[in-house]
Amino acid sequence: MKKQVKRGIALAMTAVMTTGLAGCGGGETAATTTAAAESKGAESSAASNTETEAAAEFSYPMEAGEPLQYWVETTTTVSANYANLGDTPFAKGLMENTGVDIEFLQPPQGQQKEQFSLIIADGDLPDIMEYNWVSDYPGGPEKAIRDGVIIPLNDVIDQYCPNLKKYLAENPDIDRAVKTDDGNYYCFPFIRGDESLLNTIGLMLRADWLEELNLEVPETVDEWYTVLKAFKEEKGATAPYTFEYTNNQYLGANPFVAAFDTNYSFYIGSDDQVHFGAVDEGYKEYLETMHQWYEEGLIDADIATMKNDQVSAKITNGTAGASLGQAGSRMGTWLAAAQQTNPDYDLVAAPQPSREKGQKAEFGHVEVAYSGRSSAAITTSCEDVERAARLLDWAYSDEGHMYYNFGTEGVSYTMEDGEPIYTDEILNNPEGLPVSQAMSAYIRGNYNGPFVQDERYVVQYYTMDQQKKTPEVWGAGSSNGAAHVMPPITPTSDESKEFSTIINQINTYRDEMTLKFIFGDADISEFDEYVSNIEQMGLERALEIQNAAYERYKTR
Amino acid sequence: MKEFKKKVRTDGGMKEFRKKVRTDWMRNRSLYILVLPVVIFYILFNYKPIYGAIIAFQDYTPRLGISGSEWVGLANFKRFFSDIYFGRLMRNTLLLSVYDIIFGFPAPIILALLLNEIHNRFFKNVTQTITYLPHFISMIVVCGMLTDFSLSTGLFNDIIVFFGGERHPLLQDPSLYRMIYILSDIWQQVGWGTIIYLSALSSVDSQLYEAAQIDGANKWKQTLNVTLPGIAPTIITMFILKIGKLMSMGYEKTILLYNPSTYETADIISSYVYRIGLLEQDWSYSTAIGLFNSVINFVLLIVANKLSKKYSETSLW
Repeated sequence: MKKQVKRGIALAMTAVMTTGLAGCGGGETAATTTAAAESKGAESSAASNTETEAAAEFSYPMEAGEPLQYWVETTTTVSANYANLGDTPFAKGLMENTGVDIEFLQPPQGQQKEQFSLIIADGDLPDIMEYNWVSDYPGGPEKAIRDGVIIPLNDVIDQYCPNLKKYLAENPDIDRAVKTDDGNYYCFPFIRGDESLLNTIGLMLRADWLEELNLEVPETVDEWYTVLKAFKEEKGATAPYTFEYTNNQYLGANPFVAAFDTNYSFYIGSDDQVHFGAVDEGYKEYLETMHQWYEEGLIDADIATMKNDQVSAKITNGTAGASLGQAGSRMGTWLAAAQQTNPDYDLVAAPQPSREKGQKAEFGHVEVAYSGRSSAAITTSCEDVERAARLLDWAYSDEGHMYYNFGTEGVSYTMEDGEPIYTDEILNNPEGLPVSQAMSAYIRGNYNGPFVQDERYVVQYYTMDQQKKTPEVWGAGSSNGAAHVMPPITPTSDESKEFSTIINQINTYRDEMTLKFIFGDADISEFDEYVSNIEQMGLERALEIQNAAYERYKTR
Repeated sequence: MKEFKKKVRTDGGMKEFRKKVRTDWMRNRSLYILVLPVVIFYILFNYKPIYGAIIAFQDYTPRLGISGSEWVGLANFKRFFSDIYFGRLMRNTLLLSVYDIIFGFPAPIILALLLNEIHNRFFKNVTQTITYLPHFISMIVVCGMLTDFSLSTGLFNDIIVFFGGERHPLLQDPSLYRMIYILSDIWQQVGWGTIIYLSALSSVDSQLYEAAQIDGANKWKQTLNVTLPGIAPTIITMFILKIGKLMSMGYEKTILLYNPSTYETADIISSYVYRIGLLEQDWSYSTAIGLFNSVINFVLLIVANKLSKKYSETSLW
């Protein structure tokens, strides 16, 4: 009771103070946003005007108040130079622009899942938590709400988040993806704002070797075989093809699985039903092919234990000639590192391989605009929900959008002909930082977070010609993958435990057997037995749950 | 409790008891204060969590807490016993533990016996220090080194090739996993383990050696008939303690060394609990598995102690 009175007083104070501030602060913000608003068109500024009115003349920055605790995953490009996200110019500017003091809590790299569990078990939650609530919270977002971890945001968005509300109203596809089956909003989502941002992972190989050996960039599985064989025999590569096998992101994106018209895990089939790829006939063919390649030494013998640093070493020193990765953090880094010692070193992106020459691959790695990752939710421990909501909503305003993607005008970008162009601070950093690290100091656009990613970032992020070609080579023209990718569906709370029990067993078995088939520890003739074992673990029930969830998703 | 107190008081024994406590306190005050932190440690970290084991019988969610979560009886235990990986987890945990006892337990004893025979002080100290050192290297670093050395291009393979073998990714071979695990464990802990035996050795009466020498016993006979019986109580105590930990292999080393291709021999109860409990947040299920594990350890400890008492007169209690 006492708390409610206190909060009431605080709200009243807020109202008084904001109206007072609007007089002087409003003009300033309007001036700084004009540049951004111009490129976005006049209609949006008109719309946001009416929104602001509805929100009782609210304007940024908010007046000082209690700091908010913000739990967020550590990113390599940030941690390379800053101990905490809060030390970056980005975070300082964010606090200044919104007027909210933020205390960033960051789990050690690679331990976010563990740390998340510990925080949940402890019950003393930070105000805001960025997480993949769809795939990493057991049972999904609806369960997280029912477990009392996060709060449903429907009323909050209505009252305090005009910018996000407007974005969702304009983008019904995303609106459908970011709520639960029951219609609850639960997060401030990370959204890839353009198709060119959806193809970030793909195959790449040594262009200089190809030229020397007079070979074309491979387009089919057979051509890949020829190329890898030549790399091994002519160029002495002992591990012609290698990639970060220990990273689930890469396993899920594996183009050679897709080449056999299937997927490592769940996918939407051409019958508009959910299927499990690892039991398909195509998966068997994939395993047979990989086993043959492994036997002939075309795949890294140590593939099962490969991590980023080892892969990077191999691809840059000529032990490997082909790999899988992002255009920015992998291709760019490898090119820059290897060219220092070998100026001829060159990489080229290869399209999603298909089985027939000239045929467009049916499957391929494509991300969805909203996958669930890095999305900020407000927890039940948050005492000032409005403040947290306003802080997060800012990212979806025109001003916030520019800030998250390009940083501060005059420092990290300048406007030229209505287009934001990164300054030399970013592209030719005076301290010699790579573009990815220089960007991470000022923006979040080059990795992730609760905002809409802008396509204009990526064309500048890719500074090398080899990188610039990747969106096209790996993109929609290369495969029909977008038709098969799983949308962010969730089982119901009741089914979630059953589903995760089944799928954990299946995944463990699949991971183990996949390697055994590839290494030849299990003969491919045992594939039928492998399939029937998976069926016995309850695959049918898992698919039933997935299909029901998919049906609910479609009718959201 | 109250009744009991009354009874004591009417007997007049309470007064005497209090007096005893007071004199004992006066006499050993500093010792009690000294032991206090350890007692607090055990209460906080080993006894208090026992209360939390209740969630093994619940469908626990942190928000509802222990008092609010639904009771499910033995459902979590049933689920574990019917888990398709139950047999494999038990086998792997047990085998790894047994190998650890067969190879890992005698190693420090042998090293201590060897060190005991060295009379060059300098050489002895250097050897001891070198064998201690690995104990202080963090597990993550040790496992990182092992992973690198085990690559098909790594140090171990260079050695294998030198002796005419063939290159082979060692940590992708389930049949080699246990050997790598146990050998690296011995390498890391053997020096540290010798400390307790060396101190036991130093307390063996030197007159016994003289007597044995006079009787014409050579070094080997002396070791067998004087040294080993002399440190037998220490060995047996250490052995009982080891048995008590038989099934409680930690998950740290396992999750750093295994990968799906070695699950077959590498996945043990604790790494499974880690995956299910911490990564999948299935608190109750992982607690149930942990509790089951502890019960086994408890039984083993008691049995080992009983047997030891019966056959060797040395026991923990």
